[in-house]
Amino acid sequence: MACQVLVLNQVHLLGYITPLLLGYMMVCFHRGTSRVVTLLWGFTIGLIFDIFNNTAGMASAACTFVAMIQQPLLNMFAPRDAAEDFVPTFNSLGFWSYLSYTLILMFVLHAVFYLLDAFTLSDWQMTLYAIVGGTLLSCLITFFVELLVRTRKVQ
Amino acid sequence: MRALIDLLINGKHWFLFLLLEAVSLFSLFSYNGYQKSVYFTTANDVAGTAYSIISSVTSYLYLQTANQRLEADNQRLYREIAQMKEQMAEAGLDTIHPHGLPTKYDFVNAQIVNATTHKTNNLITINKGEADGIRPEMGVVCSRGVVGVVYLTSKHYSIVLPLINVNSKVSCRLRGSDYFGTLNWHRGSSLCTYATGIPRHADVKKREIVETNGYSDIFPPGLPIGLVADIGDSPDGMSYLLTVKMFADFATMREVSVITNYTKPERRELEQVADSLMKSEDI
Repeated sequence: MACQVLVLNQVHLLGYITPLLLGYMMVCFHRGTSRVVTLLWGFTIGLIFDIFNNTAGMASAACTFVAMIQQPLLNMFAPRDAAEDFVPTFNSLGFWSYLSYTLILMFVLHAVFYLLDAFTLSDWQMTLYAIVGGTLLSCLITFFVELLVRTRKVQ
Repeated sequence: MRALIDLLINGKHWFLFLLLEAVSLFSLFSYNGYQKSVYFTTANDVAGTAYSIISSVTSYLYLQTANQRLEADNQRLYREIAQMKEQMAEAGLDTIHPHGLPTKYDFVNAQIVNATTHKTNNLITINKGEADGIRPEMGVVCSRGVVGVVYLTSKHYSIVLPLINVNSKVSCRLRGSDYFGTLNWHRGSSLCTYATGIPRHADVKKREIVETNGYSDIFPPGLPIGLVADIGDSPDGMSYLLTVKMFADFATMREVSVITNYTKPERRELEQVADSLMKSEDI
């Protein structure tokens, strides 16, 4: 969260693409986590982001929405015989499943956030660029962080 | 009750989700000026459209009342015009004319409850009768012109002999001239009637207005009846046979008014006495 607030919030690629790494925290909830817990965590993460970014309600609404769909989405990509506390990682899910899972979650997060931010479709192209660009950049950073974390764990 | 509790327990994450989203959106619209203004603008548009639709529906529902009010207004205006015409005519004869003349004609508004337009003897039933001051031989008009004459009355209903009845005879004249004739219907179209008795030396043009001449004690002078649609000759060749397209549309008419105080019993009695004297002299 500190990385997001202090570093990533200062990134405005092409003037309007800002990666939202707070999505990475939503990606990491393990299978079987109570929906109530994921919802409360999602809302809290979004609320903190909103407080530091002066975007009242935008991130909390987006994170709550993502928290709501995280568990059903993870069940779609997790193996059928996966354990109840299955943790979605690069290794456990496999490259393509992890990529798809992360892409969908990030896309939903960015779509809700930027649509609430723009609150109009009059400049829909700019909004679309921000959603797609932010999604791709956030996925890249997520993959990078995931690699770093796993590498450190292996060492 | 148990089902309700089960629902609340099983769907608690849905309730929590809606609650958290509501809190988020409340924050969004409360603390972000741009989103707040867009929200209120859109809400105003939606509310405006909804109120517009409701207003249209409501005004449609009140259309009948509005129509009746318009009809009453029309009748009042016609009455005022007729009074003014008569006052002007009288003023021409006698320049000393007191102000504040009493109302000469009273109208009773009535609704048509039954009518025929395709028979030889068409009749119209209206929902006002003797209890409302209606008596036989009173004139009936609508907002567009003359309708007919009251034929029979009961306590609460009256039968009107309309212009589209073969037994109907109404004195008429061409507006702007003193040539007069009689309106008589010959079956067929309910839109047209025929005027006879207007001499051939009269200058008659198509689309001239035919109106009441006030010779009978049923209608005051100057009430419009229709337009001259065609000019022909009567069977005897002595006068015109004018086809008159009536202003009143008997097929769609709903509201009429009965002129209740134009009929003058004194005049009628005098004419009846004269008729009886003439008959006795003939004998």
